[in-house]
Amino acid sequence: MKKLLIIFCIFFSFSSIQASEVSEWFEKESNQFLEIINNNEGTESENYERYKYFINKNFAVKSIAYGLIGESIIKESSKNELTIYLNVFTDYLITTIYKLANSSTSRSITLKDVDVKDNIFIIKSEIIDKKTSVNLYWKVIDTGSSFKIIDIIVENTSYFVTKKSEFNKILRKNRGSLEALIKEIQKIK
Amino acid sequence: MKKHLKVLLLLISVTFLHNINTYANEDASVSVISYDEIYDPIEPINRAVLNFNFFIDDVAIRPIVKTYKFIAPEPVEKGVSNFFSNLKEPIRTISFILQGEFYKSFNSLGRFTINSLTSLGTFDLASRVGMEKNETDFGITLAKGGVSSGPYIVIPIIGPSNLRDFSGDVLEYFVDPISNNVPNREYVAIGGGLNERIDIDEQLDKVRDASSDRYEMIKSIYYQNRNAQLEEEYIQNLPVPKIYIE
Repeated sequence: MKKLLIIFCIFFSFSSIQASEVSEWFEKESNQFLEIINNNEGTESENYERYKYFINKNFAVKSIAYGLIGESIIKESSKNELTIYLNVFTDYLITTIYKLANSSTSRSITLKDVDVKDNIFIIKSEIIDKKTSVNLYWKVIDTGSSFKIIDIIVENTSYFVTKKSEFNKILRKNRGSLEALIKEIQKIK
Repeated sequence: MKKHLKVLLLLISVTFLHNINTYANEDASVSVISYDEIYDPIEPINRAVLNFNFFIDDVAIRPIVKTYKFIAPEPVEKGVSNFFSNLKEPIRTISFILQGEFYKSFNSLGRFTINSLTSLGTFDLASRVGMEKNETDFGITLAKGGVSSGPYIVIPIIGPSNLRDFSGDVLEYFVDPISNNVPNREYVAIGGGLNERIDIDEQLDKVRDASSDRYEMIKSIYYQNRNAQLEEEYIQNLPVPKIYIE
């Protein structure tokens, strides 16, 4: 009984340390993100580079990209095809976030709560602009050396789930051809 | 007679839906949809209707919405939005009773009383005194009663739905104490619909060109939002990618 209690206490103190670490990381990175959004001084390519740096640093791009196409496509594709896909998807992700951020004027991001499920941190935040406030959830993993975002959920709409259904459709239409998917992604850009 | 026939047809369709083998999550107590397997047997028709809806939106609805948003000051816009939302509180009250959610039902009734008496529903005073709005509708009620979603359908002018939710909308139209007791109920329905369109204007602008396949994107967003209303731990249960070393 005593042992069980000790294990219980260790588990909870470990979880709360991790939660405070992820909160600290979130506060730092969200402030940096706001700075990038609200900085209009640089040229378009300079601003784009700032987004690129931010996304490469904080997003688990490979996990998201591979998760969107699924295991069977990964197994069937060559290493070269996967590298091209990963590069094209990274560019696409940066462009999407760049465009979305440019069309909004966010004033602040407030951390509301941190929850943990299956080793994934679920950070609830609120993003406030001139008129409205929007609930934003971030799913984050601890890679050991840093925290990485694996999904963003804006008012119940998950980026990962939405893109997965779009990519699935393209892949099904083209009999699982990764090359066709790459071409489609390049078209949207 | 015609009205009764329509209600009868709806009841038949709902019963049929209950028995249909759709792609609902078997483990869930309510009828939640798995995102990879959305039942969409009439996709070509739905795609054509969606294109038609975007065309109508581009030439008629969107210009009205943009002009309105440009002219109307923010408090007016908010007041109109509150007014139409308040008209839905009585039907929400009924929905919550049918779901067995009596506390929420009283909350909706209280909100309607307070907001109608103080400002004809244009100002949400009830929220200020702790009576927050809870969204629900007959589609949710049917889902909580175990009715499967049935096929995905895109309704002309109205937009994305499924057979269950659309049946819920039609039932609501006949049961709603407000729309049944006001003259020119069609105008109230059109006003409510336009108001909903105004509320999602910014999101719709972002969706227009953000995807290679806006049909798939809208379908996915529709089901995610419906599931969010049905599942308690919706955010926690959303699928996540497998982790690869970066």
